[in-house]
This record gives sequence, structure tokens and C-alpha cells, in this order.
Amino acid sequence: MKARIMLATALVPLGLILAAVPENTTKPYKLTAEQLLEEVKSGTQFIGPDEVAGMLIAKDPSLQLIDVRSAAEFEKYSLPNAINIPLVDILSPEWESYLNQDIRLNVFYSNGTNDANQAWMITRQLGYNNNYVLQGGLNYWAETILNPEAPPSSAPNEEILKYNLRKGAGMALGGDASVNTAPVASPAGPVPPVQKREAKKRVQGGC
Amino acid sequence: MGPLIVNEIISDNTNLFLAFLIGIGFGFVLESNGFSSSRRLAGMFYGYDTTVLKVFFTAAITGAIGLLFMSLFNWIDLSYIYINPTYLWSTLGGGVVMGAGFIMGGYCPGTSFCAASIGKLDGLAFIGGMIIGVLIFAEGFPLWQGFYEAKFMGAPLLSEMLGASRGFLTLLIILVALGMFWAGEWAEKKFARKDYIKND
Repeated sequence: MKARIMLATALVPLGLILAAVPENTTKPYKLTAEQLLEEVKSGTQFIGPDEVAGMLIAKDPSLQLIDVRSAAEFEKYSLPNAINIPLVDILSPEWESYLNQDIRLNVFYSNGTNDANQAWMITRQLGYNNNYVLQGGLNYWAETILNPEAPPSSAPNEEILKYNLRKGAGMALGGDASVNTAPVASPAGPVPPVQKREAKKRVQGGC
Repeated sequence: MGPLIVNEIISDNTNLFLAFLIGIGFGFVLESNGFSSSRRLAGMFYGYDTTVLKVFFTAAITGAIGLLFMSLFNWIDLSYIYINPTYLWSTLGGGVVMGAGFIMGGYCPGTSFCAASIGKLDGLAFIGGMIIGVLIFAEGFPLWQGFYEAKFMGAPLLSEMLGASRGFLTLLIILVALGMFWAGEWAEKKFARKDYIKND
């Protein structure tokens, strides 16, 4: 058999297969179980309530709070400027642009940390960046920011300073009242980039 | 999992080392296909020897099929593959300069190294010419910068421009290539030379 015919019998069927199958558009990105465990152990996904409160007061436009509780709970009480993405809807395409982006700092919160952590784990496994979890959830938020417990007068200065900051933050963010009052006006201006991961280099090549 | 280097599975240095090994393999295949013979290379333009067309087109098709199947099996993410950006005029201009040099001298840059490595002096002369050309291009860059950067098109894909899927385009190219191989062998008979013995 001539070389050309042998080549054709090998290449044409392969080409037909390629033409017939749909293109693979899935992202093969996935963390291994060990990598995920490592991240969970080191707790890098958590952001403390003090930090979030500071950003809220400064009206930092890069902060995006995401309430993963149900719509009914969100109606009852939510943090200022939060959007509601119930955990069951987290994979819905309408939210993908919110979750998969490099601009803003997304902070998931729920009552505790379970639901928020689940949301974080799902988005992390999808390869999305800039998603974090509010440490301790709303319960801890209420304890530390809205109704901070005064330290004893014998406490070290840092403790007292922290208490004063929290008290101020709580007052600014509607503390003592269990229902959020008027939402803070939407922040304007350019959105600064946050925690941009170094873009992956493309492979350079040539003849 | 792929590309290996982008996903940090191998380091930059390992990458260079692999490139070195692949380069040696590439050179070996070129040499064993007779690409260190300027007569065989120039034969492409006169029609009496179309080995160049067959070898390089087969390599391109094999690479395309391999990449698409690897993408299908999730072994590689094609969006991370570097695609040479297209500057239309300098691509055309460079093609004309390189093609003219190829016909006149009988080598392209890679094969001139191939020829020089087995001791051919014309291959060595070619490398000298290439270095002079690189120097002229680099030193005179302000003169042709406008031409060099004109008509920038990004990194366009033929499949996107035609609105076809990558797989379908690959099938088309396979068929076109097989047609060209057939035409090439016809040309080899038609333009055969008495003083040139083609050995496959």
C-alpha cells in the first residue's frame, strides 16, 4: 500500500471524529483534596469582622458582601450593600459574573460559617478567585461589631482600643438595633483591583 | 493538566531542558529526511521533490490532531496555548524575504543549522547571512518599525474567522493536505530531473 493511502486511512477517521465531537470548553481546573485541605487548615478563606467593618465604613468599593442565606432571611436582615445569592442558586449562570471576577473582594456570609464555607468551597473548586468567608458569620458579627462586650478596665490597651473601634463601627453600621436601617448609598468611582493573582503566562513558542 | 509549564507542573528550567531534547529530536528528523540537502529543499519550488511539503504538513496535522484530542480528554487547556500574534504586512513581507532566500540559497533557518551540523559549508555561509540579517533588522529597526507593526490583528484563529469548529477545520485541512500530497507526487513525476535521484 502506498504511504499516502496509509496516511489517509489513519488521518481521515481521526479528523472525522474531531469534526463530529463538540469542542471541549470545560476548564480542567481543580484542586486536589490535599490542596483543598491545606487551604481549609490554614484558614486563608476567612476575613475577620473587624476588617469587613473597616471596609464598610470606609465605603471601600472593592468590597462585595454576598449573603448566601435564603431570600426570606436576607429580607429580614442583611449587611449594608450585600447581595443575596442563596446557596442553592450558587451555580446559576446569572451569578457567575459576580463570583468569577478579578476586581472585587467577595465575602460570603451566613448565620454561622457553614453555608458560607460551602459556597467558598464550591467557587474555589471552580477555580474562581477573590472569594472569602466572613469569619464567624453573622452571629460573630453581632457579638463583635454590633454589641461588643466591654473589656475589663484592667485589660491591655490593645483590647480597649479594639473595643472602641468596634463600638464606633457598630454605631456607624446600625449597632444595637437588630434590624438594618437605611442602606448606605452605593459607592461611586473606579473600582480598585483587589488581590489580583498573577496572570498565568502563556507558553512562548515559535519555529 | 496541561500546559505543563503554565500550570507549574514543571519549572522553567525543566521546560528549557525538554525543549533542548525536543530540539535534538527535531534536528535528527530533519536530517534523516534529507533536509540538509539544499537540492531537496529547493526542489519544492521547482516541483521535482515535494518532501518538504509532505513532512511539514504531516507534522502540522499530527500536532493539530494531537492537541485537539488532548483537549478532548482534558489533558490540556487550549486557551493557554501561545498563538503568535499577527501583524499582517510584516508577515507577508517576511514571507516574501524568507521565500526568496529559500529559493536562492536552498535552506530555511532551521535546515541551514541541520546542514552545518553535518559539515556543509553552504549551510555555514547561510548561518552567517542570517546573523547579518538579524543585525541589519535590529539596528535599522526604527526605519521599518511602522511597517513591522502595521495591521495588527491580535491572535486570530482561522476557525473563528470562518465560524467553523476547530475539529471541522482540522478535517478540512487534513483533506486539503492529502490533496496536496497527491498533487505533489504528480508534480514529482511531471518535473522529474535526470540529474536528481529522489530517494524516499
